[in-house]
Amino acid sequence: MKVYNDYFFRDLAAKLREKGYKVYVPVKVKDYYLFKEGDEIDLSGYVNTMKPVKEIIFPQNEVLIKYKDWIEEVPLDKSKKAVLAVRPCDAKALDLLDKVFLEEFVDPYYKIRRDNTLIVSLACKEPCNYGFCINFEFYGGDSIAYEIDTGYAVDALTDKGREVLSLLNMLDADKSVIEKVKEQKRRFEKSFKEKLNLNEIVNAMIKNFDSSYWKDVSTNCISCGICTYLCPTCFCFDILDEENVRYRSWDSCQFPLYTLESSSHNPRAEKWKRLRNRFYDKFVYMYKRKGEIFCVGCGRCIERCPVGIDICEVLRGVKF
Amino acid sequence: MLEEIKRVCKELLEQKKVDAIVAWRRKNGREVLSIFKDVKDLENLSFSPLSVNNPAKLVMEIHRNYRKLGVIAKGCDAMSIRQLVLEEKIQRDSIFIIGVSCKGVADLRKLKGKKVEVKGWNVFVDERSFDWIFENCLYCRCPTPTYYDVLVGEFREGYRGFEDVEKIEKMDEKERWDFWTKEFSLCIRCHACRSVCPVCYCTECIVDPTNLAISSTSTAEEKAKYPRILGRKVNLKDNIVYHVVRLFHHAGRCTKCGECERACPMGLPLTKLERKLEKIVLEVFGYDQVKETVPFFSKLEMVG
Repeated sequence: MKVYNDYFFRDLAAKLREKGYKVYVPVKVKDYYLFKEGDEIDLSGYVNTMKPVKEIIFPQNEVLIKYKDWIEEVPLDKSKKAVLAVRPCDAKALDLLDKVFLEEFVDPYYKIRRDNTLIVSLACKEPCNYGFCINFEFYGGDSIAYEIDTGYAVDALTDKGREVLSLLNMLDADKSVIEKVKEQKRRFEKSFKEKLNLNEIVNAMIKNFDSSYWKDVSTNCISCGICTYLCPTCFCFDILDEENVRYRSWDSCQFPLYTLESSSHNPRAEKWKRLRNRFYDKFVYMYKRKGEIFCVGCGRCIERCPVGIDICEVLRGVKF
Repeated sequence: MLEEIKRVCKELLEQKKVDAIVAWRRKNGREVLSIFKDVKDLENLSFSPLSVNNPAKLVMEIHRNYRKLGVIAKGCDAMSIRQLVLEEKIQRDSIFIIGVSCKGVADLRKLKGKKVEVKGWNVFVDERSFDWIFENCLYCRCPTPTYYDVLVGEFREGYRGFEDVEKIEKMDEKERWDFWTKEFSLCIRCHACRSVCPVCYCTECIVDPTNLAISSTSTAEEKAKYPRILGRKVNLKDNIVYHVVRLFHHAGRCTKCGECERACPMGLPLTKLERKLEKIVLEVFGYDQVKETVPFFSKLEMVG
């Protein structure tokens, strides 16, 4: 662990820009934050961005090939990018996305962005309004910065992250700083009111797939794409052709057309089946396939749901 | 007022005039729509500035499952319900509307992340009241429902000015273009504004990337030739098409409940578009939704 007794993110951004990186920082737009290329870094009042960091590695639209009579170009984004002040939960979500895009079949578009992007996360001092990250493994990023009285204590989690620390003149952290960071982490983890019993919930979900419970909880659902588009771990996309370009764009399992088959059969035509799918995909299917629950507890889906569907409340209500 | 609402609901349920009532329930610092079937459950019923959601769409979806479904409706909600009855999406005789006079709901964005306390029709944050009202409500045309079976609360006069729209109209062309392009470029096309809208009930929507559903008898060629108005690509051009197409279908139908703007995660001022449309429908076609009893498009047919 290293210590930097000054504006860590500002100085790091300047160094990275010198090195040719595109630097993304949280920028205030209206009453929320988005990751944008910006010079000024003002983190006062910053809790988390509206859209998670996944949009930098896995953008909402992405051209896969350009073609005329034959493939003319396969555009790969080779630019070096750095995203600063990412919350650890969102950074952790990228590790989960890696399991989808880099295991078995390697997605070249995702891989090149992921390899060329540096994620520097900023640890939370206190839980955000709707966050429930305490239920998951949630420390992620190439390096992670902790706010301390004098500046920042920074820990590298990957080799990429270690390189970053060598860019700035940083001091080795002494015992008292390490202890302070540990204490900060402890205090943060203690300040959550409740912990979900995820093991039991997952088992209960496996048993309750056909329960009418899913109809009850989806009464208010309007089948919009907010929960999935803002989710840091959702990765579904659709591939379409348009004007000599084949592109992919985010898709959402909450849209009725998502599962519409060419035969006109739709296995998830009712909204309760779609809502149920969202929960099972995150907590059962991905757990079975990849050994991880695909949720990091950022709380965006709770905060932004127009009708107040709360993922924690739904999970808690599954009958054991 | 809440006591009065509860009393009416209790009576309706006890006398079995309705099977259930759609109303708001307080939950984790906000209020959500809920179906009340039991008299005992009514103590959890809430009506306050946090009762923001419009029950019309939920009522449209579920009212056929009940012999008679009660619903608590603010002025705008009652208008939405009336619009859906006019469009034959809700069977009037299978619902019972408990109209409630509304003084304007809170802007949840302004309360985000704060400790909110509601006392009477007032919202306090850190024991201080502030400008919490949802801007759209300042221009409310009918705070007191004009379409109901029973009314609770005193009559309040609506407001018919268009100052907010005029402010945007006064911008010069470039300024206005910049204003809207900046807004539309933020859109992520989650389609929440469409999905939450009570008058957007089509199962096939022209803005969906695969629109005009295919049937089991469609040939491959037919499927290939189906027009696709919009792709899934999210960029300024397509976003503008999405919003303008969505908007046009609301001419004379939007009831200004503000659900679209409230739902939008990116904070687009969508009600301003709807209000501009209202102004055009009023000024150019002389159609005043509040007073009319015939849907706008039917009226146009009758005239011309």
